[in-house]
Amino acid sequence: MVPPPHGGRLGGEAGTREFGWSMPRGWWTRRPHYFWYIVREFTSLPLALWLLWLLVEIRRAQDGPTGYHPHSSLGFVIFSVIVLLFALYHSVTFLSLAGAILHFNVADRPIPSQLIVLSQFGAWAAASAVVGFVLIYFGRT
Amino acid sequence: MTEHSTKARKPAIAHLFWWFMFAQGGVLAAMLLPVHILIQGILGPLGVVPVVDHHYDTWVNVLGNPLVKLYLLVLIAFPFFHFAHRLRYLLVDLGLPAARGVPAQIVFYGGAVAVTMVTIYILLTTVPISFG
Repeated sequence: MVPPPHGGRLGGEAGTREFGWSMPRGWWTRRPHYFWYIVREFTSLPLALWLLWLLVEIRRAQDGPTGYHPHSSLGFVIFSVIVLLFALYHSVTFLSLAGAILHFNVADRPIPSQLIVLSQFGAWAAASAVVGFVLIYFGRT
Repeated sequence: MTEHSTKARKPAIAHLFWWFMFAQGGVLAAMLLPVHILIQGILGPLGVVPVVDHHYDTWVNVLGNPLVKLYLLVLIAFPFFHFAHRLRYLLVDLGLPAARGVPAQIVFYGGAVAVTMVTIYILLTTVPISFG
């Protein structure tokens, strides 16, 4: 059994419906499970930064053929590698949740959650293949 | 009919909208972002594969396509609604209860709306829509 991360401290007075909630500082460092939960939530920040970069890359097309210089520095590649690790963690954790969230019946029989998760990963692979093909194919000069 | 039961029957449209945006943003980020980062952020800049945004001509050719504009709008805008929710609750989890409040909601979800508006503006003003 996993103990509560907050240590079970509740404020407020007995008999009222309002209660305070306090989390000890650094609670998420106490167990790997808590740490990876916070990492999962944190993945949003690097992904947001990378999407903002993509927005800038789109905007740079206004600079014209002579002024357009795509990002290709080593620093940008390292940044992308780090963001990719966070992106993969987001994908694996998010798509794995589908088995718990989605419920379908076929002929009055529930589809196994593993099959639903597998379908999500299959869709991810297919989408990646299509998008990857388009990005590369239309990049030929 | 009591006041309580009347309230219970009201559909939570706003709730439905934000949860829809959160869920769809999460799905889109999970399904589409890794391949974009891999190819546009790593393999393309390293010269391993040709990539559409590495040359002005190829980049402008695809950016003029209305379907590409729509795709990029969805790809960029939707995940920000997911990020806004997650980052707001990340702050709550890390000991900032003020992140639950209305001002924080305005900042985070307003930020997602602002990114959406900026994305629409950039997509419409960068390369004219072309059906060719």
